[in-house]
Amino acid sequence: MADTSIPSGLPGAWALEARGLGKRYRRGWALRDCSFRLPAGRICGLVGPNGAGKSTLLGMTTRQVEPTEGELRIFGVAVGEASVMPRFAFLGQDKPLFKRFTVAETLRMGSELNPGWDMAAAERIVRSGDVPPHARVGTLSGGQRTRVAFALAFGKRPDLLLLDEPMSDLDPLARDEMSTLLMAEAVERGTTVVMSSHMLTELEDMCDYLLVLAGGRIRMAGDADALVPAHTLVTGVTRDGRLPAGLDGHTVIENRVQGRQFQAMVRPNGPLSGDWQTSEPSLEEVLLAHLRSPDAPPLYTPGARVGAEGTRTA
Amino acid sequence: MSTTPTGTPAARTTRPRLLRGLSWLVLRQHRTTLICLAALAVLGSLWIVYQRGRLIGLLDTAGWPEQDVALPVVGQQYSYLTLLLGSLPGVLAVFLGAPLIAADSEQGTAQLVTTQSVTRRRWLIAKLGWCFLITLAVCTTLSAFFTWWWTPYRSVLSDQWMDGTVFDNTGPVLPALALFLTAAGVTIGALLRRVLASMVVTFAFCVAAQVAWDVSREYLAPARRLTYPLDEELPARLSDAYELDSWIATADGQLYGWGTCVEATEKASAACIADTGIVSNVYEYLDYSQMAAMQWTAAGILLAGTALLTAFVLWRSSRRPL
Repeated sequence: MADTSIPSGLPGAWALEARGLGKRYRRGWALRDCSFRLPAGRICGLVGPNGAGKSTLLGMTTRQVEPTEGELRIFGVAVGEASVMPRFAFLGQDKPLFKRFTVAETLRMGSELNPGWDMAAAERIVRSGDVPPHARVGTLSGGQRTRVAFALAFGKRPDLLLLDEPMSDLDPLARDEMSTLLMAEAVERGTTVVMSSHMLTELEDMCDYLLVLAGGRIRMAGDADALVPAHTLVTGVTRDGRLPAGLDGHTVIENRVQGRQFQAMVRPNGPLSGDWQTSEPSLEEVLLAHLRSPDAPPLYTPGARVGAEGTRTA
Repeated sequence: MSTTPTGTPAARTTRPRLLRGLSWLVLRQHRTTLICLAALAVLGSLWIVYQRGRLIGLLDTAGWPEQDVALPVVGQQYSYLTLLLGSLPGVLAVFLGAPLIAADSEQGTAQLVTTQSVTRRRWLIAKLGWCFLITLAVCTTLSAFFTWWWTPYRSVLSDQWMDGTVFDNTGPVLPALALFLTAAGVTIGALLRRVLASMVVTFAFCVAAQVAWDVSREYLAPARRLTYPLDEELPARLSDAYELDSWIATADGQLYGWGTCVEATEKASAACIADTGIVSNVYEYLDYSQMAAMQWTAAGILLAGTALLTAFVLWRSSRRPL
């Protein structure tokens, strides 16, 4: 899948491009040395433990947080410029809406504040969920409110849709409904989607691109299809309670020793040979291994890394 | 981007839209507040008209101004009215100014609006613009009505022109004071980002500002001084004047405190006066004719403060999120 990672050099080919991006709060750096590229048209999962910097990154992308250093571009336009605003839509974690507005008024707000508003699309999304248009938003159920928030986001006709834990407060049925809606709308319009989530399975189903953050730094960035095969799960017998020397030349992300047995997540730097068993890990296993080992060297698939000028040695 | 026209089915846009964009949003969001304030302006004005009518009736029966009337001619209602007008700037600051931005920060709707295609600055300008406009309209209306009542009948009304109940409630001061305190409430709300906290702090600020304002009111115009012979009464034209201080003085202008020669007996007093050479009274005052200039000076100061606070909020919003 590496071919899709390298679009032509046009400035708009990258939905999101960060160079040396960082944000320092009073308590310290929430995000630092963040450099990556996201090609247009992908569904990107933003993964990381709590406090990893996911919300900070989304906040900087949506102009809610001012970067301390570095630069961030959406389709080639710096986020500081007002002209970037019609190009993205954001759905926050608690999906704030005006509670006293009716659903119809909420959609009218979208049409009043957005130049490219598509009322037909927004109304279609609301109607397909049987949300009464004259009900006040405050009286709707969680699933219905999320649907209205989705309608507001998609009615904007964004090129980049940013979602912060979009499904976290939904019951399984509503969650399924919303993911279907999200995928259908995104595919139909070719919208680039960035969604942060705790649900690893959800990401596995929906995302074809991954951005893994931990401790305010990028751990992995790139095609989901290329990130997983870069790893191998090795199971074997320990030598004197340590990993066999045959693994020394490779990058060991994480290893666990149980009795005389070890299991290690390895990023091979060449052919792996030895008296052990290898298997291909699942996406979830790779992600967990990286999240548990914040000191492992970060991995970028080709194209996800930006030029050296923005990347500093850690 | 999208070529779909905004109002596809005909049924939706049957009514022409008077308000568009951010103005519509701001007025829709604060619809209840707007209705309450409009009602307050209308009912308050009607109340003033009614009270004024009653006063005129009463004075006509008494044959005023040819004959004197027994004071006070106005009852409890007048006190309630001045109390209402006097507390209006504070009420607007606490209930309109403080939650204006704080509520949107707290409920996340600030994020909702500013991730549509409008910048924080444009949204704030719309919010502050409408908030100030409404404050100005309500307070100007009530102030105009109250001034229209008070000015011709001030001699029979109990309070003096320098009293807060008159000076702050008439002319340009009421709207200017309301704008300043509301802007302070907005600023506090933008800084604290919590509705309740900013309302409490705004209330405390209003009380402090009111105290400071009461103290500084008499410095709004240069004091005038009148020297007149010791044995004469104060000239009648100064019956409206607001006394700042008074002394007794010698011929060469040396001032003595008012009680310098207050002695037990008249003889002793006269001796003291002759002894120190006191020949005149000195009266320092603000004249009623200075009131208009003082009120406009006050309004100017308050409006400058409003502009400063507003500029601060807008400047801060371009650097930091709400």
